[in-house]
Amino acid sequence: MSEGTPVSIVMIEDDEGHARLIERNIRRAGVNNPIEHFLNGTDALRYILGEDGSGAPSAHRHMLILLDLNLPDMTGVSILEKLKSNPHARRAPVVVLTTTDDKREIDRCYDLGANVYITKPVDYDGFAGAIRQLGLFFSVMQVPEAGS
Amino acid sequence: MPTDRRTLVQSIVGLVLGTIALMVVIAFALLAGEQTRMRAGALNMAQDTRLAASALLRGMVDAETGQRGYLLTGDKKYLEPYNEAQFTVSDRLKGLEQDLAAEGQPSDLHALNNLIAEKLSELHQTVSLVEAGDSAAALARVRDNRGKLLMDRIRDRLQPISDAADQRIMKLTGDLAFSALMLRYVTGTGAVLALILGLTSIVTVRRYLNDLRTAHGELEAFNQTLEQRVAARTLALTRANEEIQRFAYIVSHDLRAPLVNVMGFTSELEHGLAVCQREAPKLMGATWDKAEGREMRAAVSEEMPEAIDFIRSSTRRMDGLINAILKLSREGARVLAPEPIDLATLFDQTVSAVGHQIHDKGVEVLIHKPMPDIVSDRLALEQIIGNLIDNAIKYLSPSRPGRVAARAFLQSGQVVIEIQDNGRGVAANDLQRIFELFRRAGAQDQPGEGIGLAHVRALVRRLGGDIDVDSQTDVGSTFRIVLPRQLGANPQENG
Repeated sequence: MSEGTPVSIVMIEDDEGHARLIERNIRRAGVNNPIEHFLNGTDALRYILGEDGSGAPSAHRHMLILLDLNLPDMTGVSILEKLKSNPHARRAPVVVLTTTDDKREIDRCYDLGANVYITKPVDYDGFAGAIRQLGLFFSVMQVPEAGS
Repeated sequence: MPTDRRTLVQSIVGLVLGTIALMVVIAFALLAGEQTRMRAGALNMAQDTRLAASALLRGMVDAETGQRGYLLTGDKKYLEPYNEAQFTVSDRLKGLEQDLAAEGQPSDLHALNNLIAEKLSELHQTVSLVEAGDSAAALARVRDNRGKLLMDRIRDRLQPISDAADQRIMKLTGDLAFSALMLRYVTGTGAVLALILGLTSIVTVRRYLNDLRTAHGELEAFNQTLEQRVAARTLALTRANEEIQRFAYIVSHDLRAPLVNVMGFTSELEHGLAVCQREAPKLMGATWDKAEGREMRAAVSEEMPEAIDFIRSSTRRMDGLINAILKLSREGARVLAPEPIDLATLFDQTVSAVGHQIHDKGVEVLIHKPMPDIVSDRLALEQIIGNLIDNAIKYLSPSRPGRVAARAFLQSGQVVIEIQDNGRGVAANDLQRIFELFRRAGAQDQPGEGIGLAHVRALVRRLGGDIDVDSQTDVGSTFRIVLPRQLGANPQENG
């Protein structure tokens, strides 16, 4: 990762099992960046956009966001909308990770500014492989400051 | 006022009876009129007879008067009526004869004719004597009373004729008056009957018209409520359908999330197991192969791998089922796009897509052409026909070479597609079951999840048609699809 600017991974995932599997595979890929895990959208948004929703806390963060679309309190799509319309959070890369392979939903996520869309395959080897590749991807990608 | 069948029959019977009565009255009126006309004619003739008889007598009297005047005065001027009578009398006699004949009365006037001739000759003799200057001889002829006698006899002959004619006139006048009276009564009765019939008809017609109007109104109101009910029902059905699709979608997603965990952690277990399998023999050293290590050995190398295999195959199967539900719910949400489709070409394409299977299994596929045109959704129709052809080839009987035949034709404005095979067939009690989701019939010797026919039926129904199967075990099956020729302009749109 870029020297001196630690990139944190923000994972928004309500299923603890999924979260654990994702984390394990990221670690196995040799990625050791800190992972902030949120079980619901409200907590995640509070962390990223701050109590007032301004996004100020993220102004100088380097983050990569892993977002599940099926959350108990709000849809991942509305979280994506909020992130991408906030001046401080909109540059943070968002990886959508979900069970849905519905084409319209995938298109919608890309339209809203998602950077990567990964379907969680039931075939675990595929899933693990995808996450590991994502880890490799993290290790070479340049994550900008979320805000400028 | 509702009119039932009985009152309708009563009205018709009443009108028919009334019409018959009116016709009878009209016949009577015609008869009475004819009788009046005949009686008037007869009266006319009787009067003619009476006049003719009087005229004849008057002619004779005139002739005699002229003769007497001449005899008394010798003045030729008095002879005029006599001379005139010479000519007119025979005409008048003939006229009387004709009138009597026309009336059908005895018309033999021979005796009268003789008397008149005798009288005229007597008159002639006396007039001739006077002309010859022998007035005395003429007067002597008059005095001998023969002329008076002749005249009296003529009167006697004519009188009965006149009297009879008078009698007839009187009788006929009475009859005629009676006829006229009858005619008046009959006509009056007819008029009254016609009036009653007309009024009854008007009342009846009005009543039926009112009934008709009421019925029409009721029907209109019923139609309106029916439309409302159909609209409400359609809305309810559409909502229910949407609800089911949403449900299927949510369920399939929510089932998938735990499945990802089961599969994922199974892999983790497998991963751990691999470590155990690798490390345990090393760590346990000599005990591994001895009796003390037997339990560990069985767990690590047999029981745990077996358990993991079962978990894997079950989750894989569950994943397949979830995907099937998802596919069906997605298909139900797709918007149909009707377009003209050449069925024969569609069949050719479908068959050539499975060409290698047909070739490998040595199946004979026959597509009967021509096929009718249809306007429908191409993708849905491709999937329907593709699935059915696939099934026909898949479930052949191993005991004979496979034959699959497809035909399509029009029947009461709908397109019927039949796909027939000589395969292993479906048992009678499984015929409806095969269209249900996840249900399969017969020997489970072919891969599959029991989705194809459920999917086909859902598609056919979405296209506004239906599917049925006729089958006999080990003889073959015929799948019969009935589709509208033109997919509705407003296909139900759910997504």
